[in-house]
Amino acid sequence: MLPIADPIIDWGTVVTVVWTSAVGGIGVTAVFALFILGATRSVELRRDGDAFSAGAFAVLTALALVAVTAAVVFGITAMTHKS
Amino acid sequence: MENIDLVLVIVVVAALAFDFTNGFHDTANVVATSISTRAMAPKIAVGYAAILNFVGAFLSLEVAATIASGIVDADLITEPIVFAGLIGAITWNLLTWYLGLPSSSSHALIGGVVGSAFVARGPEAVFGEGLIGKVAVPAVIAPLLAFAVAGLAILVIYRIVGKLRPGPVTRGFKGGQIISGGLLAVAHGTNDAQKTMGVITLALIANGVLQPGDPPPTWVVVSAASAIALGTYMGGWRIIKTMGSRIIKMDAAQGFAAQGGGAAVILASSHVGFPLSTTHTISGGVMGAGAAKRLSAVRWGVAGNIVVAWILTLPAAALIGGATYGVTALFGTGAAGPVVVSFAAVVAVIVLYTRRAQHGMAITAES
Repeated sequence: MLPIADPIIDWGTVVTVVWTSAVGGIGVTAVFALFILGATRSVELRRDGDAFSAGAFAVLTALALVAVTAAVVFGITAMTHKS
Repeated sequence: MENIDLVLVIVVVAALAFDFTNGFHDTANVVATSISTRAMAPKIAVGYAAILNFVGAFLSLEVAATIASGIVDADLITEPIVFAGLIGAITWNLLTWYLGLPSSSSHALIGGVVGSAFVARGPEAVFGEGLIGKVAVPAVIAPLLAFAVAGLAILVIYRIVGKLRPGPVTRGFKGGQIISGGLLAVAHGTNDAQKTMGVITLALIANGVLQPGDPPPTWVVVSAASAIALGTYMGGWRIIKTMGSRIIKMDAAQGFAAQGGGAAVILASSHVGFPLSTTHTISGGVMGAGAAKRLSAVRWGVAGNIVVAWILTLPAAALIGGATYGVTALFGTGAAGPVVVSFAAVVAVIVLYTRRAQHGMAITAES
């Protein structure tokens, strides 16, 4: 980091953008992938007669859906409340 | 007084024309990946994006009147300077659309205003530090960050769903793309329509119609929202094709990773007031989602052309904005200059459209 660049570039903000983007972007897409995993495996296992495992994957699906919905609501809130 | 009012009307019309090209040019950011993966039919995708752009424009008015602040000296800005800047931005948007290159409409607007302010008022009207901190640095960070986030996201996704049957996975990610694309459309409407509201509001303040600190009038909000939504609905199909299929041939999971990663970067930066370009971010996300799967999956020649367009956007729009101001200044400080330039611009657009029609219309929703 060049000292001369400090007054021009707000490095603190840059760091915040980098880590929140990484956590949000990778986190939400991973949780959505878990939603698909849960939904798909739940249907397959129920068809195979494994009700317990199917139920566990159904719970995973529901939790992931809640998390993704919360992320979307948070995203819209973030849009309407800029710093 | 009549001259001043006519200039104000011309600036408002030019601002709405820019807003239209902004929507038209940036449709690809929102819909290209969804169309490419067949998550949505082309016409439904642009209709969906247009409606959410319109809605997004009403969500927040906090960034209105901030365009080019900290980059040019606002006290030295006049209506003819804003007008020339808008012409520079519109011209660059249309040129890059013709070439099918996704470039930043915001950078075009900033470049146009910087160029016209430079010609009108000299170098003291432009803040070099602002250009570096608010334009150059974000232009480097946005695509690299989105590239990394989307690239890591697709690797995580493949790790989680890689052993599942492809049918349900593809259907699931197509559904996810509808959500992530919608979020991008709302974000685009919120951010970009407000730039036009800001330009019109500044013109109204300069003209004495509004007082400094007044919020944009309702007609400004509605007209800016309508112009960007209409532009989005018209769809810049050339850029949609570049973004959706010429950079990489993507599957639904990659499309979702690019949109989801891009949306996260845009929302995070928007929330802390760090000005990133939607175009740079989504383009970087598309490249990252492709490169993470296989480096050779990315057509680096196309990617290189896009990067060149990004680098040229600000200086090219500045050059056109400066030249436009020079021409308008030849006619004095009244409305004659803007009227002549507007007339010439309308004639040029009609000639280009006619020539295009004679050679067959370019790329449409059906092609």
